[in-house]
Amino acid sequence: MITPHIISRAMLIAFVAFLIAAPWLIPAILNGFWVSVIAEIMIWSLFAASVNLLFGYVGLLSFGQALYFGFGMYGVAIGIATLGLSFWPAFGLGVFAAVAIALLSGIFAVRLTWHYFAIITVVFSLIFYFLAVSVKPLTGGDDGINFTLPPVFSIGDVTGSFSDANFQYFFILATVSLCFFLMHRVIQSPLGKALVAIRDNDVRAALIGLNVYQLRLIAFVMAGFLAGVSGALFAFFGRYASASYMFYHVSGEAVVWAIVGGVGTLFGPIVGTTLFIVIRELVSTHWEHHALIVGVMAILVVILAPKGLVGLWNEGLVRWCARAEATSARTDLQTEP
Amino acid sequence: MDTLLLLALNGLIWGLIIALIALGLSIIFGLLDIINIAHGDFFMVGTVMAWFTLELTGNFWAAFLVVPLIGFILGALIQRIVIQPIRNVAALTIVATFGLSLILQESVRITFGTTPRRILPPIQATFPVFGINYELYRLFAALVAIVALAGFFVFLHRTKLGTWMRAVRHDRETAIAMGVPAQRVYVLTFGIGFALAALGGVVAAPITTVEFRTGVDILPFCFMAVIIGGLGNLPGTAAAAVLLAFLEGIIQSFADPTIARISSLVLMSAVLLVRPQGLFKGLAK
Amino acid sequence: MSEPVLRTENLTKRFGGLIAVNNLNLSIPSGRLHAIIGPNGAGKTTFFNLVSGLLAADSGRVFFKGRDITGLKPHEVSRLGIKRTMQIKSVFPQLTVAENLWVTRHATNQTLHPFRSAARDPETRERVELTLEQIGLRALAHRSAGTLSYGDIALLEMGMALISDPQLLLLDEPTCGMSPAETERAVEKIKQLTRKIDIVIIEHDMSVVFEIAEDITVMTQGEILASGSPDEISGDERVREAYLGRPEDEDYVEEVAHA
Repeated sequence: MITPHIISRAMLIAFVAFLIAAPWLIPAILNGFWVSVIAEIMIWSLFAASVNLLFGYVGLLSFGQALYFGFGMYGVAIGIATLGLSFWPAFGLGVFAAVAIALLSGIFAVRLTWHYFAIITVVFSLIFYFLAVSVKPLTGGDDGINFTLPPVFSIGDVTGSFSDANFQYFFILATVSLCFFLMHRVIQSPLGKALVAIRDNDVRAALIGLNVYQLRLIAFVMAGFLAGVSGALFAFFGRYASASYMFYHVSGEAVVWAIVGGVGTLFGPIVGTTLFIVIRELVSTHWEHHALIVGVMAILVVILAPKGLVGLWNEGLVRWCARAEATSARTDLQTEP
Repeated sequence: MDTLLLLALNGLIWGLIIALIALGLSIIFGLLDIINIAHGDFFMVGTVMAWFTLELTGNFWAAFLVVPLIGFILGALIQRIVIQPIRNVAALTIVATFGLSLILQESVRITFGTTPRRILPPIQATFPVFGINYELYRLFAALVAIVALAGFFVFLHRTKLGTWMRAVRHDRETAIAMGVPAQRVYVLTFGIGFALAALGGVVAAPITTVEFRTGVDILPFCFMAVIIGGLGNLPGTAAAAVLLAFLEGIIQSFADPTIARISSLVLMSAVLLVRPQGLFKGLAK
Repeated sequence: MSEPVLRTENLTKRFGGLIAVNNLNLSIPSGRLHAIIGPNGAGKTTFFNLVSGLLAADSGRVFFKGRDITGLKPHEVSRLGIKRTMQIKSVFPQLTVAENLWVTRHATNQTLHPFRSAARDPETRERVELTLEQIGLRALAHRSAGTLSYGDIALLEMGMALISDPQLLLLDEPTCGMSPAETERAVEKIKQLTRKIDIVIIEHDMSVVFEIAEDITVMTQGEILASGSPDEISGDERVREAYLGRPEDEDYVEEVAHA
């Protein structure tokens, strides 16, 4: 009997296999350039996932995740360019900085109801955007800073470094996969169920003994962690950091990716991000106004398919399996003597 | 000293223009529960339409009539087509207005282009104010803004439509139960919101650059005015806009404008966290 | 005399100019099912809200088994063992019936492990199974709670109250919106529970009240009008006037009280 679960499992395996084979498969079919596009998509999917975690599972719409992305990014960039750190300490600094600022801002933000929460997340990200722009010597402002990347590891004669495109690809794949796996575990865990309960009915949640404020804060920090990791990866990937990535535009785009992909699903952010980045890559060579497509699609999805692509897919899958079940039951009946 | 005076006056006048725009944002937020990310772009479209009016007719004054009207129609259409279907899922409206913002910016890029343009003020004289020769057009702009603000409050309190709007903002269910046509009020509100922002755009066009990014700069400021003034507190929002612009203008004379902006944002956060009903409670009805 | 399970001292709550609960001095003894009745707007649900921490009192105190719980937040009150259901039945619609129970149990134990799978904990799994049996929703265990009928949601709510091992159960109009059959089932459950747990219920359905209540308090306009056994209450003139007011209803009360 075919269940949605089995189909999803199969697709997951196929997808992972594809990702692992991509560095050899893609250049053979298309062009090596697309391998680095896939790497970039993975980084941004993680960022979209941070939005999705807060909105899809906790019910909090943050329009300011670019702040934590920015801290992750600058933690790495400043760590390497100014502090002369090597790879892992810089990575650690970036993630730590993102989590710290997420905790600090979350303590205040999570107290607010959703309208004001959305607004204050933008305000916080704007404050730090302007700070980053004004402290130009340190951050390079909107122009940003470039730096060369130290190797990831060196054991004896073997060096692993991002200058090797394949190594870079697999490092990103591994990190992003690990984060998604952790997210999956959390969502299935008692903590994850409690978060969904809070989203569904926060009064009831308090009445059964859940500390709503504390749990929301934990979720906020987790989302900050994901955004921070994606920012750090971005800095490594581009050897570049710029304040412009902290602007609310970036946060907003991630919200669109998450919603178009499918809010409240694990793969929604990946699907949404892939769609928009592929469109950007395909369209921008011929027409520079691809942002128009983003805007139109955002509106269309929100009006026509608010559950997003993965949401639609899941619904369709359930219906298709139910029908397949019914049909086979009917044929069984017909073949009865 | 002269620079300080100049900046203070400029700030004051900008504040009046922003008050106009922020009122539009406030009624959309207060009545429709919508965080309108595209509102700054409504202003920007106003400036662009003013430019086009000037290009096509050679007459800038026509823009004062034509642009707000077009803005009203656009706003009404947007409400019916985009907002109405998703009115009940508040979070999705933010995404929709963000999409709208992208569409407006790109449409302007396509039609108007990316080069910033300037419009020469239709009044070129200066007028002595407190010992400096001040651009007469700016004084005129202030006058227009004040008249428009006054007109808006008269509309809100003395006309049937305005009363309906206040009723719905105050207590939606009761208003509907009493027969106020809520749907029409929503369309009206969004239309007026766009029109106010567009009017602000026309007034501001000769004293700012006309380009597709001006909306992005102005949006945070409008939100600041709405929050610090107090959501639903229209006079408070107008007062906050003027005050904030005035203060930022003064601070600019001795500090980096970015610092001024950051302080306003920090103030806004404080208000959100400590006194979400805004600082000007006394002015509310 | 043993400590009352719930006691209030001059409890007051105002909403603007309206006094919802006015200097309430209520004492509810342990071991007897207590019903609070009264006309709409009497302050009964406000009283529950004050006890469970959803509202902050303007003045006065609330004591639970001798412990001052005034001003505690809802989740803190819940963790002390006071559980309540709401007038409008509400559960967690996006979770399944079983998950609703799981989440409640975890919230009680305060075991919110972030990585272990929610379904693995054996002790919790047993309790969830047991509770599903008790409320009779075994068959619907994997259905989304949002798709249940109103009566089943009420049962689930009661299951959530049970699985959390409450010491005091506050039921706000538990039979509201139920069909006669569902009401009967609910009443049976409440009777079973009252042997082990202290229960206070707010009810409008007089037949239910007189069937299960051992003590009744009548509230009106935020104050206690009368308090006593079902017989005393049904015979009380002031209660009839304030609550019922019409001769036909008097007969109804007579009838129901002696049914």
